Amino acid sequence: MDVDLVERAQRGDKLAFSLLAGAIADRFLAVARRILRDQDLAEDATQQALLAIWQNLPQLRDPGRFEAWSYRLLVHACYSEGRKERRWMPNLRLLPVEGAAATDDLSSVVDREQLERGFRRLSIDHRAVVVLYHYLDKPLDEIASILEIPVGTAHSRLHHAMRGLRAALEADLRPTAREAS
Amino acid sequence: MSQERDVTRLVRSWIREDQHESADRILGVVLDRLDTTPQRRSWWPARRSNGMNGFVKLIAGAAAVLLVAVVGYQFLPRGGGIGGEPTLEPSPSPSVLARGTFTAKGAPVEIDATREGDSVSGTMTVGDNGDTVFAVDLNCAQAAEDGRILIAGDATESNGDWVKKGDFTAIILKPGSPVHAVYAFGSDASSATTCSSFLEGIIDQRFTTVIGDGALEPIQGTVELGP
Repeated sequence: MDVDLVERAQRGDKLAFSLLAGAIADRFLAVARRILRDQDLAEDATQQALLAIWQNLPQLRDPGRFEAWSYRLLVHACYSEGRKERRWMPNLRLLPVEGAAATDDLSSVVDREQLERGFRRLSIDHRAVVVLYHYLDKPLDEIASILEIPVGTAHSRLHHAMRGLRAALEADLRPTAREAS
Repeated sequence: MSQERDVTRLVRSWIREDQHESADRILGVVLDRLDTTPQRRSWWPARRSNGMNGFVKLIAGAAAVLLVAVVGYQFLPRGGGIGGEPTLEPSPSPSVLARGTFTAKGAPVEIDATREGDSVSGTMTVGDNGDTVFAVDLNCAQAAEDGRILIAGDATESNGDWVKKGDFTAIILKPGSPVHAVYAFGSDASSATTCSSFLEGIIDQRFTTVIGDGALEPIQGTVELGP
C-alpha cells in the first residue's frame, strides 16, 4: 500500500482517500461476503469499514501498518453486522454441475452445500480466521495481529474451524451414498 | 493426513470461488458521505516519547514505594485486640470505582468515579496540554468477564469533533501492571439509548473501539481501581 497516499488521506485529502478506498473496496467486499455469507450484510460491513477508515485515519500512528489496521476495522464491522438480528436466510446459491466441474478440487455441488452449512455454523471469530488464512493467505502471526489475539488463539480457532468443516463434509458421505445407490 | 489435506484443499477451493462482485456502488456511497463525515483528529502526539530517563524512573519508583508504605500504614489496626476499644462496623459508603490522574492513549485523564450499590457517579475529564477536550458525567459501569472495567456517561463538554455534547462516552480500563485503557464514543454503539445499553453495545467489541490504532494501551501514571 502506498504510504504516501495513506499519509495524504490522514491529512484529510479526499482524492487520496478515494484512491486508497478504490484500491481496497473490492477486496473488502469479497472478504466481508466470505465471512458473513450474506451479500447485504457484507455490503453494509464494507461501507461501515471504509467510513471508519476515513474517520479514524488521522489516529493511525504508523501509516506502514495501514493494511493490517484496515482489515481490523473490516473484521470489526463484520462482527457488528453479524450481531444484527437478521436471520440467516438459506440463500445457498448452488452452482450448476458444469460450473462445479470447472473447479478441480470442488467436484461436488453437495460439497459446496455442506461447506456452506458447516461454515455458517461457525462463529464470526472462527470464520474470520478461516477467510484471512485460506482466502487472503495471511500467515497466522499476521492474523493474530489483525485480530489482536495471541498467535496460539489464532491457531486454535483455525484448527477448530477446520475440524467443523471436515465434520460437515464427512456428515455428507452417508446421504451421498444413499443417493448413489 | 491425506484426508486432512483433502479437506484443506476443498475449503481453499470453495472459499476462493470467484464471485465477480464489484464494490463500485458502495465506494460511491462512501465517497458521497465524506463531506458529512468528519475525521477524528487525534489530540495525542504521533509517537509517545520515551523521555523518562533512568534517574527519573528511580525517583518515581522510590515515590511509589513511599506512597504504598504511607497508605499501608493507614490501614494498620489501631488499639484493637483483646480488651481494646470496640471497633464499629463501617457504614455503607461509596466505594472507589476508578480514581486517578494518568495519561491514556496520549491524553491526560482525570477520573473520579464511585459506586454505591447499583448507582455510579463521578466525572472524567480528558485534556490536551491543559485544555479540556471532553468532560464526562459518569453514571454507569460494567465489568467484563475478562476483567475490563467499563465506565461511561454523558459528555458534558467537548472541544473535539469526535465527541458531541450529550454523546455517550466511556473509558475502558483493564487492571494489571500497568493498567491498560482505551476510550469508546457514542458512534461505537450508535443505537444505544441508555448508558447501560451503550456499555452492552461495546462490551463485546473485540477491538474495544476503533479509536487510535484500536487497542487497549498501557497508561502512564496511576489509577486506583475498585473491586
